[in-house]
Amino acid sequence: MSLFQSELGAMLIVIFVGFLPNEIWRVIGVLFGRGLDENSVLMQWVRAVATALLAAVVARLLLIPTGGLVALPLWLRLTAVGAGVGGFLAIRRSVLAGVLTAEAVLVLGSWWLGVA
Amino acid sequence: MNSVSSTPPEDRSYLLRWFLRGAAASLSVPGFVLVATFVGFGGLLHDINFPIGAGLLSTVLIWALPAQVILVGGVAAGASLPSLAIAICLSGVRLMPMVVSLMPLMQGKRPRFLSELICAHFVAVTMWVEGFRLLPKVEPAGRPAFTIGLGTGLIGLSVAGTALGFYLTHTLPGPLAVALLLLTPISFAILLVRNSKEPVDWLAIVFGAVLSPLVVDSAGGLDLFWSGVGGGTLAFLVARYGLRKRS
Repeated sequence: MSLFQSELGAMLIVIFVGFLPNEIWRVIGVLFGRGLDENSVLMQWVRAVATALLAAVVARLLLIPTGGLVALPLWLRLTAVGAGVGGFLAIRRSVLAGVLTAEAVLVLGSWWLGVA
Repeated sequence: MNSVSSTPPEDRSYLLRWFLRGAAASLSVPGFVLVATFVGFGGLLHDINFPIGAGLLSTVLIWALPAQVILVGGVAAGASLPSLAIAICLSGVRLMPMVVSLMPLMQGKRPRFLSELICAHFVAVTMWVEGFRLLPKVEPAGRPAFTIGLGTGLIGLSVAGTALGFYLTHTLPGPLAVALLLLTPISFAILLVRNSKEPVDWLAIVFGAVLSPLVVDSAGGLDLFWSGVGGGTLAFLVARYGLRKRS
């Protein structure tokens, strides 16, 4: 149907749309690393865009899920992520603690609701 | 540049030893957290019918989970490929300062271009954190070999995690399968909070998240582009001009 559903097409997309645009920054870091000012106005803008992009990805995965997460009510998805961030902040800023808190809330919630 | 064949045998076993020590060092708590998030990525791949071979290739080549999720999520949502390439290019910018700051530690005394490029490929958040923790304890001459060993170990574990997630999702009971799918958004949400230090960071999170559902039906599959570039630019302008005027 569409290009990405064939293995070869998907691999070409990974290489040309994913690998090259991403890897260029690692190469630039090697080539020009010492001359670049991390705190220039341009870099501040770029970092803000990168952060917003990641937040948008998270929001889309949670608010408009595609697969298995659809079975869960919106409030449970949001509560689990909120609990995870809370767990991270409360328990020594440990990423592992935050992830486990969120997962515990999600699994208990979906088990209690009898969904999924 | 020294060719490998001119390296004395004892030198090679010296490099091999540091390579193996690096690979062994990937078996650590941060390494296992990383694997867990790639298990979640594998579950996502299965969930949206992305071919597994290309998914594994993305872990080896892109080696940056946010970019990988933008790519496969965007492709599944029907985003246009040029707009995805731009979104991925923008998301990859954060790798550059990581490479710049870690390179002196990875290279030791005599930096060689090819070796620098290979070491740079392994740089991502986990590698960056672990590099600063482990490399100072490594002899300078063994550092490139140690870096390549550590990076190969982390990528190898993550490839295994991706495959595991892909084949595991549909065999797990319901609540555990959705738990797997939540791993990606939850770990990203926590990383966003962890990396936010200034008002502009918080504004970018809020604008990006709020714009995302609003622009989801935008023409040409450009929704990630609008929420990322639009939200980020808005956050940048508000932090730079809006907040300053009021204070």
